[in-house]
Amino acid sequence: MILPFNLILVLFVYICAIAAITIRDLLSAVVILGAYSFLMCLLWTEMAAIDVAFTEASVSAGIGTVLMIGAISKTKRRSKD
Amino acid sequence: MFDFIVDHYNYWTYIGLMIIGFYAMMTKRNLIKKIIGMNIFQSAIIFFFISSSVKKGVTVPILEHAHGHAAHGLEHVTHAVDAMQYANPLPHVLMLTAIVVMVATLGVALAVAIMIYRKYHTLEEDEIIMAIKRD
Amino acid sequence: MKTLSIIIQVLLGAALIYGTLDMPKWGDPHSPAASHVSPYYLQHSIEHTATPNVVTSVLADYRGYDTLGETTVIFTAGMACILLLKRRDKSQGKRHV
Repeated sequence: MILPFNLILVLFVYICAIAAITIRDLLSAVVILGAYSFLMCLLWTEMAAIDVAFTEASVSAGIGTVLMIGAISKTKRRSKD
Repeated sequence: MFDFIVDHYNYWTYIGLMIIGFYAMMTKRNLIKKIIGMNIFQSAIIFFFISSSVKKGVTVPILEHAHGHAAHGLEHVTHAVDAMQYANPLPHVLMLTAIVVMVATLGVALAVAIMIYRKYHTLEEDEIIMAIKRD
Repeated sequence: MKTLSIIIQVLLGAALIYGTLDMPKWGDPHSPAASHVSPYYLQHSIEHTATPNVVTSVLADYRGYDTLGETTVIFTAGMACILLLKRRDKSQGKRHV
């Protein structure tokens, strides 16, 4: 655990989380959610949880983003709020 | 006061992320936005568990100088391991399971959203409720 | 609706922050989470399982039934996805992709 690095990563995680729920274009929101997952992965590497980090990078940031893009391609891309 | 903040701000971080996700689940009307909020919520919970495994100044929970001992027989292996030198491995294991379950939940939720879109041709919650009332 | 939701979020956040005031310090090596069963795993992992990575030895050896339950959950989720997304042409009439 390195305190300044942790604070910077937490700041970026917050920016990504707020952007993912406010952007109206759903494809952009999903891609930002993928970036959020990768930043979480860096945060866990910094907390010495490397197994969780590479599981997050492959499963949540990889397969999760692919599943959500597939669902958006079968439904609508625009959102009202 | 400063020491108290440094010792406790990680809990406040996960509380903030959890509230962002919960807010998205409650107020956003689009179903995909609700699912994104659910993802953020679950990540915040996992963040809490992982941060409970941190000890100051430790390394990853992979034991040093342990390769090759098994080939020479087990009597060399039982050297004392200092548990204060490695991070707590138990929350990592539990959260490894939780991440995979999180993606399984995400898949089922997206399948239900696709089903709703096939029936009502929209993903907005208020339009779906109006269509249900009209039938 | 939005103001009610924001009030609920603020109340929830205040309750949770009040709860964290008694939590152990971040990075404390003697916190309750780090003092009961995880030193046992760290000290006996090589002796019992011959694996230097303690996380995988706990995941697959000490808590293998947990992983078995996890695979059951993934199988159930996959079956649910297949059953939900299957086309049903006859029963529901016209269906769009």
